[in-house]
Amino acid sequence: MYLVANIDVEICASKSCKLCTQYCPEANTIQYSETMGTDKGFKYGTAYIAVDRCKGCALCVWVCDTMAKNNAIKMIMIDQLPLAAVTDNIRYEEKTTVAVLSNPMIVIGN
Amino acid sequence: MSLDYVKFSGGFEKFMPKEYRDMVEHGPFGKKISVSQMGSFKEILEEHPMCAGCAMTLFIRLAIIAFPNPEDTITVGTAGCGRLAISQAAIPFVYGNYGDQNGVASGLSRGLRLRFGDKPKDVVVMAGDGGTADIGFQQVLHSWFRKERFTTIMLDNEVYGNTGGQESGMTNRGAVLKMAPLGKKFEKMDMLQMAKVAGCAYVATVVPNNPRRVESVIKKAVLIAREVGSTYIQAYTSCNIEYAIPTDKVMEDAKTVENDRYQFTEYVSDEAKQYLTERYGYKDYLPKAAAPAAAIPTKA
Repeated sequence: MYLVANIDVEICASKSCKLCTQYCPEANTIQYSETMGTDKGFKYGTAYIAVDRCKGCALCVWVCDTMAKNNAIKMIMIDQLPLAAVTDNIRYEEKTTVAVLSNPMIVIGN
Repeated sequence: MSLDYVKFSGGFEKFMPKEYRDMVEHGPFGKKISVSQMGSFKEILEEHPMCAGCAMTLFIRLAIIAFPNPEDTITVGTAGCGRLAISQAAIPFVYGNYGDQNGVASGLSRGLRLRFGDKPKDVVVMAGDGGTADIGFQQVLHSWFRKERFTTIMLDNEVYGNTGGQESGMTNRGAVLKMAPLGKKFEKMDMLQMAKVAGCAYVATVVPNNPRRVESVIKKAVLIAREVGSTYIQAYTSCNIEYAIPTDKVMEDAKTVENDRYQFTEYVSDEAKQYLTERYGYKDYLPKAAAPAAAIPTKA
């Protein structure tokens, strides 16, 4: 098993700084969705991780904790994530994305 | 070299992988995209085998997003870590022999101008410090002296990271590396000064811990290279493997190095300032309004 980043929607959707989306070295790994936060009653949208692309560097954790001071991202073993976004289940829309969350272990095929 | 190459071939749409379909339907081609929109559109860069937490990867990701016309851009590279990512982008990439990237880009740039006339086709060289300042040094410098109209970006990780940690011309004096155990005996090469002496119209240093600045610098360099002359960007992109930087501290290191020896600098020639102002509406280089003269006290 290996570590991947996981974003706390409640914290992220109340701040929505989007810094992590600009600092991840991997393309299309930290995505942003307008609806995944507001659908749950939060003020803004939220960032989320496409876990099949995450290499586990934790650079986003430093950015969220130190630069943004939001402490919304933690590293978690991928098999401990109940639900997560993977690339195949991410849909692009006009200026946003939407992900259908699923069990990453089943989708990735481990 | 146009929006035509990011379309589906007739009848093949349903067979294309999701990443390709996303690129055609939601990619940045033909649109105005900025780093503030990252995470909400399909990026040109795809998955690649570069190390986790690599600052060079982040810089390449930002640079590709900053290209003013990605559908009319060709990248040129050479051996080194960077080409592992640059080659995984949905824009044409030319992989030169080691060190000849600026020679290849010179011919390519001239050929594109002959073929397409005034329609801008951008050529961007992205190579490491070894490819630019050591092995490719002669061709780099001569392309600048000839005022070839393309952009050269040095991905400066201050080491030969791909081959086990040998010192390069851009390594700092005294740096001890796996394959330089006694420490480097010479100073880091001053490529910025050489670029100015050789006549580059735009020279800048940048560190990827400021994505908006990276975007701004890349855009200016590519636009100036269309008509004015050679442009050069030197980017600090640490090698967290050879310099043993924990991956979650890569941006902390970038910030420290930026404050220490890699402060943002930008040189823009007068001709380039005029070009950016008149052609693309940049307001930064307009003459500053004269400050009101201080009131001269008069004797009562």
